[in-house]
Amino acid sequence: MSKDEAVQVSDLLRPRHVGMPIKRTEDPRLLTGNGEYTSDRRPDRALHVAFRRSEHPHAKILRIDTEAAKAALGVVAVFTGADIADDYKPVIPFSRMPSYYATPIMALATGKVRYVGEAVVAIIADNRYLAEDALELIEIEYELLDAVNDPELAVAKDAPLVHELAQTNVLVAREFKKGDVKADLASAHIRVRDRFEMSRIAPLAIEPRSYSAEFENRRDSITLYTSSNIPGIVRDALSESLDLPGNRLRVVAPDVGGSFGSKGSLYPEEILLCVAARKLRRSLRWTADRLEDISSSSQAFAEIIEAEMGFDKDGIAIALEADVIGDVGAYSIYPWTCGLEPVQVVSFLPGPYKIQSYRGAVRAVATNKPPTGPYRGVGRPVSTFVAERLMDMGAKALGIDPLEIRRRNLVRPEEFPYRIASGIIWDKTGFVECLEAAAEAAGYESLLKQQRAARAEGRYFGIGLATYAELTGIGSRIAVAPGMPINTGSETAKIRVDSTGAVTAAFGVASHGQGLETTLAQIIADDLGAKFEDIRVIQGDSDAVPMSTGTYASRSAVLGGGAAKHASYILREKIKKVASHLLEASAEDIDVSGGFASVAGTDRKVTFKQIAKAVYSDMRTLPVEAREELEGSFTYDPINGTTAGATHLVAVEVDPVTCFVKILKYIVAEDCGRIINPMIVDGQVHGGVAQGIGAALYEEMVYNEEGQLVSASLVDYVIPSAVEIPDIEVLHIESESAVAGGFRGMGEGGTIGAPAAIANAISDALSPLGIDVSTLPMTPQRLFNLLENARTNVKGSQP
Amino acid sequence: MKPAAFDYVAPRDLKSAIDALVGAGGDGKVMAGGQSLTPLLNFRMARPSLIVDLLRIPGLSFIELRENTVVIGALTRHADLEFSDVIAAHLPVMAAAMPHVAHLAIRNRGTIGGSLSHADPAAELPMLAVFYGATIKVEGPAGRREIPAEEFFVSALSNCLEPEEIVFEIEFPVLTSHTGWAFEEVARRFGDFALGCIAVSLELTDNTVSDARVAVMGVDDTPRRLREAEEILRGAEGGARTALRFAQIVRASVSPADDIHVSSDYRRNLIGALAERAFNTAFARAVGAKP
Ligand SMILES: Cc1cc2nc3c(=O)[nH]c(=O)nc-3n(C[C@H](O)[C@H](O)[C@H](O)COP(=O)(O)OP(=O)(O)OC[C@H]3O[C@@H](n4cnc5c(N)ncnc54)[C@H](O)[C@@H]3O)c2cc1C
Repeated sequence: MSKDEAVQVSDLLRPRHVGMPIKRTEDPRLLTGNGEYTSDRRPDRALHVAFRRSEHPHAKILRIDTEAAKAALGVVAVFTGADIADDYKPVIPFSRMPSYYATPIMALATGKVRYVGEAVVAIIADNRYLAEDALELIEIEYELLDAVNDPELAVAKDAPLVHELAQTNVLVAREFKKGDVKADLASAHIRVRDRFEMSRIAPLAIEPRSYSAEFENRRDSITLYTSSNIPGIVRDALSESLDLPGNRLRVVAPDVGGSFGSKGSLYPEEILLCVAARKLRRSLRWTADRLEDISSSSQAFAEIIEAEMGFDKDGIAIALEADVIGDVGAYSIYPWTCGLEPVQVVSFLPGPYKIQSYRGAVRAVATNKPPTGPYRGVGRPVSTFVAERLMDMGAKALGIDPLEIRRRNLVRPEEFPYRIASGIIWDKTGFVECLEAAAEAAGYESLLKQQRAARAEGRYFGIGLATYAELTGIGSRIAVAPGMPINTGSETAKIRVDSTGAVTAAFGVASHGQGLETTLAQIIADDLGAKFEDIRVIQGDSDAVPMSTGTYASRSAVLGGGAAKHASYILREKIKKVASHLLEASAEDIDVSGGFASVAGTDRKVTFKQIAKAVYSDMRTLPVEAREELEGSFTYDPINGTTAGATHLVAVEVDPVTCFVKILKYIVAEDCGRIINPMIVDGQVHGGVAQGIGAALYEEMVYNEEGQLVSASLVDYVIPSAVEIPDIEVLHIESESAVAGGFRGMGEGGTIGAPAAIANAISDALSPLGIDVSTLPMTPQRLFNLLENARTNVKGSQP
Repeated sequence: MKPAAFDYVAPRDLKSAIDALVGAGGDGKVMAGGQSLTPLLNFRMARPSLIVDLLRIPGLSFIELRENTVVIGALTRHADLEFSDVIAAHLPVMAAAMPHVAHLAIRNRGTIGGSLSHADPAAELPMLAVFYGATIKVEGPAGRREIPAEEFFVSALSNCLEPEEIVFEIEFPVLTSHTGWAFEEVARRFGDFALGCIAVSLELTDNTVSDARVAVMGVDDTPRRLREAEEILRGAEGGARTALRFAQIVRASVSPADDIHVSSDYRRNLIGALAERAFNTAFARAVGAKP
């Protein structure tokens, strides 16, 4: 049970750390090369794993000959799917969604290969070089099958099947409905529609996926170090799969070099390493090279959306309809399922708007490509792109300014909590406040003036707005992924003062760049009254708490932070009690702050160290019954979670020669509730926007007609570098949420707003040519084609 | 992504390096800065049995003005060219081009000999060699020979060297009478290989072009000098009409291929626009530079 009101009082009394731009505790170690990533692990006499991966998108495995590889120098073992079939249970990404087919996750391809890059054989050798030499000696005989590439063709009756047992390539189909959309659209004053598309992209963390399965002979146990942001989920899934209890299977995410979603699912290689470590009773290591990471880590988007929006004559959006096809790749992922991304597109499509009637239908379609999975913003980068484009198209058709049309459609402050047409409930958030703040900071009127001047010179200057809302810090009442049976609604904090007086706070959340070691310590410093520098935060370790899932879905500040507040509160009460004995005062008069307990209004005080000594070591000071272990433990569940929202405003200029888009101004006004550390919030927004700029202008996984990946290196998969990212101005609307601490989640927002805002800005810039952006990324080639078309059309219309 | 096994030697003189290559029977490969070769090794797209590391050979890293040529040692790093006063003063187009070569970290390692030998069709130094009419000096088992840059590049990623030949220095003639120049390049991101790139330099007599040099890259299999385009500039005056006509010829002279980033039409369109801009800049510079 949460007692959120009780824990908010302390903030008001003493907000000394929360709200401060404290430098990140983890940075000195990370920036000086003293971090410990998974590939820095040096387990005793570890062996190295290399994978032979499929070069075919779709083929039946007829025969695998590993004899020569087994005999090669340095090779200890070679495993095929068949060799290890009895050593683990396939992991099933289960869901209660009706009409869902769960594809089992195998450690190695079995029977068929279903995408280029799928692991087929594992070689275990003395080092990676010898392992890769031996890979070349494996002979695999395949029977090639027709590849399923195009998700729109994949739904046809006679399409080849990626999974025969599913009897269809449609792994999930769902529909959300409210009101009579057909009638409302028919009665609309104007309607706008388009076919939108966002390409398949890669999350691309700088640290590729990396695993170290460390076998301990003495206890017949495994510790898996994994570059994961869901170590708790990985532990629970592997425990099932390997039939190994949690006290013999520990999963630790040490320093993790980014995820962006790519490390947020269970991977076949994690299963394989544990299975093989157990079989060989040896420690095993594997780190993906960039090619493996790009071709076998979960990918994102790959959605086609036919959507239509109807407006009344005042610009009020009254009806919205969308049909979404998600190209989800070859397998459903654990635990989120293949429904995660595409289903969220339809559940979030109405966004922060009061659209009354809605129909959103989605099909998640299997293809011969790597699975899609979580990607910063999940579903909402796409839903926001579509809804915000439609909003601008409506504004244009009605001759209403894009800023004004949003004012008319956003949920207003007095209307919260508000249930949007897809059923999601927004709690009170500064939607309108963000919109107005962004417009004001940008000098919206002067931007319009600048645009008129630019147009007079024949330059393509555009302004783009995007407003969105997201659910963050989701509690147990809502499944993070549709129909998912595991609980993602709670997190535990265990804070203790040990016999030396040191404060250690253990969590199951797993920071992979978010700076949780800093922000959680800030919360504890205030609510426990400890000295910030003295608090050690342990996270990402399945041994630290009984159950945890990890860091994803903008949840750790809300859930981890809420748990930290409650646990701090419990521990502070214990400290007060001891202090009242030592200081001979009533517990109510004890103030705890900065690592001391003192009697309010006096100079009488004791340190945490003295308190610890009295409790644990000194047999005389305290009566036995007062020597209570100094630990506060709390599992926090925000039940529903909170909303977060933002407006992005961007000004661009399109160069008609290079077809490059130059970002001239970028403003984000966001509401993430009470800010724990503004420097970290800004950093998260900057990074998110950079990622969104990648999705809007640069990044694209290209699979050719044969199903081969042709953008498998960083020469061909183009991500923006620091030089391509503009200055980003971030404004904060700090409206407190109703959960503990008043926090809202904010790790993903930047990526949600940027693609939509940029698409709108490009469309605005090119509106004199009648160009509308409906596909992202808007690469130079796509812009070139649009401009060429526009030029021919203009020529064609002038005889 | 680990290379296949290879032997490694780091000889102290050119002769031993050549001997080592001969000993490898055509299966050896020299390594200079390693910026292009290492990825090829890691992808196992190159599988030499022997790597001959050139970096221990003294005397191959220098930039010297000798009369009307700038002579550059094969092991000279890109960064040395970028920051050289000699280059800035005598090969201004090269000075303008060097910041476009990859990123600083790569420029600190990559060498001119390596870049030329690697023969990437969108690399700056091969194009500059063609532009300036450089002479590439190589040594092999049969002794030394001199190769004009335009003959050196055979096709994408292939040069005319025998497997045992090593580039040891390159001579760049200084275009002393050319007073106006321009270098225009567009890459997808800062430091990427070019989508289109052109260099122009002009000699003016009485405000008309009396001599011109034009080279392009990224729009063909190899970097190319565009003699036809040079020809139409001779005798021309400055101005929009010349620039447009020049752009047209440039556009018509190249045959770019489609790739994953852009189409041949895009590249052709781009190079035309860059040509126009480059001519105007070069002409203005020449007019401004008149004694
Ligand atoms: C991310 C990235 C971006 C890049 N971007 C650009 C760019 O924009 N523009 C650009 O021009 N380049 C770019 N490069 C390539 C870079 O300039 C390389 O340094 C250069 O191409 C090779 O020089 P090197 O000394 O490293 O040669 P190496 O990699 O050592 O060798 C390259 C080839 O040349 C041969 N070779 C080397 N030296 C000699 C010699 N003296 N005689 C005969 N053969 C020799 C080798 O055997 C090998 O085949 C980029 C490289 C990277 C990694």
